[in-house]
Amino acid sequence: MITQMRVKGLIFDPYNNAYIVVLRDEDNSDMLPIWVGKSEASAIGLALESVTAPRPMTHDLMKSFLDVFDAKIISVVITDLNDNTYYAKIHLTYEDSEYTIDSRPSDAIALALRSSAPIFASESVIKKQSSEELEQWLENLKPEDFGKLDS
Amino acid sequence: MTSSHAPAADLVELKVKQVLEDSNTDTRIVVLKNDDGSETLPIWVGAAEGNAIRLAMEHVVTPRPMSHDLIRSFAEHLDVKIQRVVVTDVKSSTYYAAIHVASTSKGVDRTLDARPSDAIALALRSHCPIYVTRDVLNRRTASNLDAWVTKLETKNIET
Repeated sequence: MITQMRVKGLIFDPYNNAYIVVLRDEDNSDMLPIWVGKSEASAIGLALESVTAPRPMTHDLMKSFLDVFDAKIISVVITDLNDNTYYAKIHLTYEDSEYTIDSRPSDAIALALRSSAPIFASESVIKKQSSEELEQWLENLKPEDFGKLDS
Repeated sequence: MTSSHAPAADLVELKVKQVLEDSNTDTRIVVLKNDDGSETLPIWVGAAEGNAIRLAMEHVVTPRPMSHDLIRSFAEHLDVKIQRVVVTDVKSSTYYAAIHVASTSKGVDRTLDARPSDAIALALRSHCPIYVTRDVLNRRTASNLDAWVTKLETKNIET
């Protein structure tokens, strides 16, 4: 079982000097927070706001690499969670074959947003992710800690 | 050079010598040199880009694939060869690069625009050559550059 998720926003985590990509499912019943580094967050942020950088950023290069050979991203899936580390897979088609490629969730999400491909999370990942801890953490956040949200 | 993919004669092959830290600005300087060390091309890149290059130079295998490992992995799955990367232009101290890729099964080759940091990070992981055009070498702000790099290297060793 997999659930389609949408990127709801990026939050700066001042305690860890990192960013949190917040994924939510359609009816907002499940949330998946993924901690990423600064450059990974900026790769996702640029895509969320549809900003075109003057020179191609790493994920723009990734996309143009796939585009010139007519390879298409079908979907990306957050597949596993182990010791607070998430794992993802990118599904693509190329010349009538399907390929599945291991990736970090940050790369998968940055690429999915640029390719308008859907993002899924496996049920086990959503189950494993205990939201209690996060909710407590969110309560301690001040309004100014929040970055840009898309809604 | 009999291959039709052979680079033009006005290209100079460079190797990544080191990645220096510019602690004042939180940037990295990728120092490229030709074989006999007579030409130096320093390129300023961001911290994350510099680290991507350093990981490849030191052959560090990370537990999860980094962004450039992912591009490598796409290339392997698609049976695409990364042939060479070329630093093609410099405008207002900003460098531009091109990545030459070829699909063996489709028999086509393509050129992708890239930032030099991505091109170099990918070249090191693909064991393909890195070139700069003679034109770019001539146009870099060369006057006191070598002295500056030497100074920085010394400083880097001391600290």
